[in-house]
Amino acid sequence: MTNILDDYALMSPLRHRNNWLKLAIVLFGLLAGVSATSPIPPIFIAFCMSLTTVTLGKAPLKLYFKLLLAPLGFAIAGVLIIAFFSGSGPELLSFEFLGYPLSVRTDGFELAMLVFARSISGMCCLYFLAMTTPMIELFAVLKASGLPESLIELSMLIYRYIFVFLDMALCIRYAQTVRLGYSNFRRSINSIGMLASTLFIRSWEQGDKLFLAMNSRCYDGKMTLFEVHRPVKVTELLLTSAYFLSTLALFYFTKNISIV
Amino acid sequence: MTHLLYLLYLLLYIFIIYGDPMHIMEGFLPAIWCIVWFAISIPVIALGIYKLNKLVKEKREILPLLAVAGAFIFVLSSLKMPSVTGSCSHPTGTGIGAIMFGPAITAVLSTIVLIYQALFLAHGGLTTLGANVFSMGIVGPVVSYLIYKAGMKAKLNFYLIVFLAATFGDWATYIVTSTELALAFPAGNVLSVAGFFSSFSKFVAIFAITQVPLAIIEGAVSALLFKYVIEVKSDILVEMHVLEDSVVRKIRGLSA
Repeated sequence: MTNILDDYALMSPLRHRNNWLKLAIVLFGLLAGVSATSPIPPIFIAFCMSLTTVTLGKAPLKLYFKLLLAPLGFAIAGVLIIAFFSGSGPELLSFEFLGYPLSVRTDGFELAMLVFARSISGMCCLYFLAMTTPMIELFAVLKASGLPESLIELSMLIYRYIFVFLDMALCIRYAQTVRLGYSNFRRSINSIGMLASTLFIRSWEQGDKLFLAMNSRCYDGKMTLFEVHRPVKVTELLLTSAYFLSTLALFYFTKNISIV
Repeated sequence: MTHLLYLLYLLLYIFIIYGDPMHIMEGFLPAIWCIVWFAISIPVIALGIYKLNKLVKEKREILPLLAVAGAFIFVLSSLKMPSVTGSCSHPTGTGIGAIMFGPAITAVLSTIVLIYQALFLAHGGLTTLGANVFSMGIVGPVVSYLIYKAGMKAKLNFYLIVFLAATFGDWATYIVTSTELALAFPAGNVLSVAGFFSSFSKFVAIFAITQVPLAIIEGAVSALLFKYVIEVKSDILVEMHVLEDSVVRKIRGLSA
């Protein structure tokens, strides 16, 4: 039905590992990725994270590749702009297109490659988190990290209602489609406006009902969460530190490397 | 220059199909700019949370309502919009939020929504969250809200106001996104005024392909949303102080 990554996270065997460890791995990967100065460490990070997600996390390989392709539009657009316009060094490649000279310069190309590698590594880290850690597990972590109560409360309620409304929206959309509601552009606009307004009214009524239901169950502005205690195993710790150290080493040795 | 743009339009066909210039993707901004945008966004979110806490203390029933509103924004933004190129992209929905709840609370709601979009749909990311919150959760809603307030004061047609607020909110978002990208990747690799503007004009020109029509469509859909809500259940809007009772009666009288 929908492609919500949370569904896969609930089925992943890595779900039952320590949440803090997983979060640390992801944050390390993200930070190392964006602060890298050569494309090699981000590629290494992307490779390790993908391998872990697919082998240990048992994410479907086909889906994983499809997911990696999805945000590529933004990456390619941005990278092309950077490659063609941000260089100032010697020319690497130049050609004429419809009478307009275009050239890729060395430093522009290097920067473009770096940004591309960074985005891919960031996506892989994000997918690792999204496909191995369901949101319910993250709420306990958020609560322990001392963020404002009301914010966490609000996120939990939003999380719950996303699925209710998504189902509702898909049903309405389906019903509209079979009645040719999306058969041309004008109708599509009208249909989507109707869908959005119905969704709004229904969600409003749902909110009223929710307040009533919560109040009658003695809601006092606090929801307690049960956090499962999962100690970090030695093998996990070893693997993680090996990964951290090799990334840092790669980071250090490729500091001044240029690929062109 | 025009030839160059044609070339880019061709090259970026894939981008038109998957185009999502609203969310800056994970890992796209260098570390220093991630920190800068977080530093700018966090105080605004903190102000929003402060206002939220005050509101919840006063009226406890507001929290569930805000929660469904957040979920509504998420679902609206994950729906695909019909678009002229035959492709699809998604609206932000934050313009509607700003009209209904004001910009401070919309900032908090859109932060949560943006985290969920990053985790569930891979739109945007965690390191670029600060930048995305600034463009989609702060500047866009503020612009929408100002237009809405000004329009109500000038007693324009309500649907026109909603249309203008949503459209200009969208455009503001996309201009801020282009600014963020141009600041991080100025032409010539060194941040200078000329380098910034040269790079900015390119990002703006390329994002304009999808954003100019899409924002107009989003404005139209937002206006339609309010039209149906007023027809079916206008008391919601009166209750939320979006519209005065007399205005509702006037609109319904005209449309009947």
